[in-house]
Amino acid sequence: MTGRELGSEISNQKIWRGRIAALCIGFVALSAAAQIQLGSLDHATQAKKQHVELLTDSLELAANKPQDVELRFRVEPGFHINSHTPKDELLIPTDLRLNAGSLRIANERYPAGSNFHLAIGSGEDLDVYQGEFRVMLRVEAPKGASTLTGALRYQACDNASCFPAKLLPVEIAVNAR
Amino acid sequence: MLAEHSPSGLKIACGGKLVAAGEGSETLGRRLSVLFAMIALIAVLFWAGVHNLRHRRQLSESNRVTLIPAAPADDNAGPPDAEGSELRGKAAPAFTLTDIAGKKVSLGDFKGHPVVVNFWATWCGPCKLEMPWFQEFSQKYKPQGLEVLGLSQDDGASPKDVSDAAKKIGVTYPILMPDEKVAKKYGGVDYLPETFYVARDGKVVEVTAGAPSKDQMEALIEKTIAAGGA
Repeated sequence: MTGRELGSEISNQKIWRGRIAALCIGFVALSAAAQIQLGSLDHATQAKKQHVELLTDSLELAANKPQDVELRFRVEPGFHINSHTPKDELLIPTDLRLNAGSLRIANERYPAGSNFHLAIGSGEDLDVYQGEFRVMLRVEAPKGASTLTGALRYQACDNASCFPAKLLPVEIAVNAR
Repeated sequence: MLAEHSPSGLKIACGGKLVAAGEGSETLGRRLSVLFAMIALIAVLFWAGVHNLRHRRQLSESNRVTLIPAAPADDNAGPPDAEGSELRGKAAPAFTLTDIAGKKVSLGDFKGHPVVVNFWATWCGPCKLEMPWFQEFSQKYKPQGLEVLGLSQDDGASPKDVSDAAKKIGVTYPILMPDEKVAKKYGGVDYLPETFYVARDGKVVEVTAGAPSKDQMEALIEKTIAAGGA
């Protein structure tokens, strides 16, 4: 190898070292940016987070015949929501608001709540839903496919803090034969 | 520059180092391997970091449920973290709101006083249970200049509704009607109760989310009175 070739080799090594260093810096910067981005997204998501989920996604019915169906919901573990008939008039009741569309909804029946003791200071007994709960509907559907839409309004708390009332969208495919 | 022969080829001493001229492509290959290994390592670290962050946030969310009331005996435990916690040590955001009687009330009106700014709502059970403690402490620490302000977050409620609820709870300190802009200034106040303890110098001493124990609340009030000069 000539002196010029050797010089070129050393120069190449320096270039590679530089490239590797630049790549490392780039990755570290990218990681930091991603962490920050994820953090802010997470904060925004938390604020809008639902504490109740709809478990029923479809209904199979006999066409043109009134029948009882149940809509199943689940409250996030560690949280409770007021029942449909809370003990205090200031508390926000759980309420299902449906757009019947082509369906005929005769009535809605809510389950009884369970007692929850809020152990702060003098304490307070609340009437709440925890875990899974079911709302019964008397429904009559025309033959064919349709969709039951609406929203469940609820207000969730844990044992020390509360979130504002939220609307959980309800969309259930109905197939009547 | 010195040259010498070796079994692998000619080595040339350059700047105190021996460099094998025939090893150029080998060196490049090695460097590329190192580069890819580093990329793989960084990718794994990045993924682990993201996974860990999510896990910690989930854990923190679930822990928040039990952290506050589950350890009422542990009065030294720090208050739970709040979304407005970044205001700690900073000047409390200024606001002017209308009270339930229609009178304008500004935070600036209480300059030189320790002030408790408590966000609450009529539908919030924990808020209603901790508010009588604020009432009690507002009287107990009145000689030290303590002021308590209750900022209602009952959007759409009438002043009469809020006033009736305040009477039922038994508080007589100023109750102010909601303004979303003020809540935003205080970090969004996405859940209630959320309380900001403001020292005499106008700086936020402490922030709590969720109802603390009565002893914790009193300790925070005493800390707020002691902070920010006499």
